[in-house]
Amino acid sequence: MAVVYFPLEFLRRFTSLSGSYFREKKIFDNMPGIAEWRVESEGVAIISIAGTWSIYEKHPHAEEFIETIVSKSSIQRIDLTFVDLKGWDSVLINFLIRILTICESNNLAVNGDNIPIGIRRLIELSKTSPVRSTLPTSKKKSTIFEFAGGAGLLIFLSLKNFLGFMGKLHGGIISFIRGKVKIRGQEFAVMLQDVGVKALPIVALISFLVGLIIAFVSVLQLSQFGANIYVADLVGISMMREMGSIMTGIIMSGRTGAAFAATIGTMVVNDEVDALQTAGFSSIDFLVLPRVLALTLMMPLLCAFSSFIGITGGACATMFSTSLTIAQYCIQTAHAVCLNDFFVGIIKSCFFGFLVATIGCQKGLQCERSAEDVGITTTTAVVTSITAIIIMDAIFAVVFSWFGI
Amino acid sequence: MVIKISVKNLNMSYGNYVVMNDLSFDVQQGEIFLIVGQSGCGKSTLLRYLLGLKRVGRHKIFYDGTDMNSMVNVPGFYGKKIGVLYQGGALWSSMTLAENVALPLETYTPLSKKEIEEIVALKLSLVGLKGFEDFYPSQISGGMQKRAGLARAMALDPEILFFDEPSAGLDSVSAKRLDDLILELKESLGVTIVIVTHDLASIFAIGTRVVYLDVESKTITAMGTPHELLASSNDPNVIAFLSRGTKAV
Repeated sequence: MAVVYFPLEFLRRFTSLSGSYFREKKIFDNMPGIAEWRVESEGVAIISIAGTWSIYEKHPHAEEFIETIVSKSSIQRIDLTFVDLKGWDSVLINFLIRILTICESNNLAVNGDNIPIGIRRLIELSKTSPVRSTLPTSKKKSTIFEFAGGAGLLIFLSLKNFLGFMGKLHGGIISFIRGKVKIRGQEFAVMLQDVGVKALPIVALISFLVGLIIAFVSVLQLSQFGANIYVADLVGISMMREMGSIMTGIIMSGRTGAAFAATIGTMVVNDEVDALQTAGFSSIDFLVLPRVLALTLMMPLLCAFSSFIGITGGACATMFSTSLTIAQYCIQTAHAVCLNDFFVGIIKSCFFGFLVATIGCQKGLQCERSAEDVGITTTTAVVTSITAIIIMDAIFAVVFSWFGI
Repeated sequence: MVIKISVKNLNMSYGNYVVMNDLSFDVQQGEIFLIVGQSGCGKSTLLRYLLGLKRVGRHKIFYDGTDMNSMVNVPGFYGKKIGVLYQGGALWSSMTLAENVALPLETYTPLSKKEIEEIVALKLSLVGLKGFEDFYPSQISGGMQKRAGLARAMALDPEILFFDEPSAGLDSVSAKRLDDLILELKESLGVTIVIVTHDLASIFAIGTRVVYLDVESKTITAMGTPHELLASSNDPNVIAFLSRGTKAV
């Protein structure tokens, strides 16, 4: 590509202008950034830079461009000239830095006197940055033993943290029972409403559908034996003993446990938890205790509600798909379900509520100081809560069968 | 002088609560324009209006003579036309510093991966963070986060840079270093810079022109160079603000 050369005096004036000149003038034609070189005299190559150098336009790449010049052993020095340079941004600075670096590593002298002053200042500024050589994390590939050890250590530390947290929480509960810690009444009432009353619609919907599904599946099987009446037994017992408490626990994990983790996690990010500590408040007493108490108190009520709605759903499905009447269904349910079944569900839901709230709060307090960590904390809280609920339910199943309940 | 931003009879409010009335001023190309005033006067609200984060009626704010309303939804307005450094840096916490700076380049330019890496390294070295490419925002100090935020704001070489309280939360040495960097960018790149601040040292060190938002009269009561205003303003609030209450009219 041809390069037009201007008289020397004009060239000097032109190249002494800063980048602002080009921005002010706005003389952006469509000529992209170009760089050409030629041998002027023996041992001296002249690189001419022209056009508009923009990150949005095509432009030469330093490595490809300088390769042929460097390969010629006869060239000892490079002169940089800027002819008809219409505009520039970071790509030209980067181009020149690369040229200067490559020439330096190949012991080639560069005359950069004509570099526009704005570009020269930025190149100098970039050189003044201190270099940090160590990285915060090593990306070394770990062996399977290291991985297993790391995972084991992580589980151990998580357990240790959780037990430590439980210890503090129990200390808080004992202080509360002894009257040494007071929970602010109005806030606690609002919390009860949040975790209890406001959860009713979602608990109702899920429980109704679960009851409905159990009934439909049962009708399909039992109708083959003419035993439709036992659908009421199946729905009643499963909702009272298992599904009511488990479904409520899972809903509360996703709804309330996640909310606890996100709220407290955000408070950690905003230094609010530190502010509580330094103001003399215990984060356990102030943040965790009301939440744990609220959810532990509300869960049995939600579980009872869930069981009732589930049985209603089962009744609806049975009436639609069989010839049973609502009276027959109710009488059969009353015969099948005993008080033990009801209390099994209620006791389990108390533990589930305690678990969900404790895990949510603990994960929230462990949150690191970034927005991403709040997301991770919330996800971990939900996953851990659901896993803990299932494990706890399995333990309850063994214990209850042991005692014949 | 070319006018980069023009504000004409802008009224700012939150619902029925009027924050500022009848604001009119121009920002010229290549200057460092400061928006100052007492706490609660509406500086940050004005910045949000200028950035298009709060919607404004037609013919109130113009960029290069074009109504802002017709520009904010055009791809590239943010990044190419304007870059913003937020008070806390506002870096994306899930990304490393290099990824933070590289994202606009990857999205809006046809540059190769290698070139993007080089330009990211250049931008970070310009703000004194060479070698911190692989660090996450949570692993660096507040001052460094601000500088990394500036590198990200400059990623696409915008024509106008906005700064929200750049020296807030910084020690005096770091604040001075950031001021020097802002001056250097203005001198070298010729970018137009708009800064919301109430840091007196910065106002006098780097400000080309200052607009003072008065919290009592809810409008602009003074505009000019910082030294001019301190020497000759008749407004006692302006004098008190610029002299930290030590000088009376």
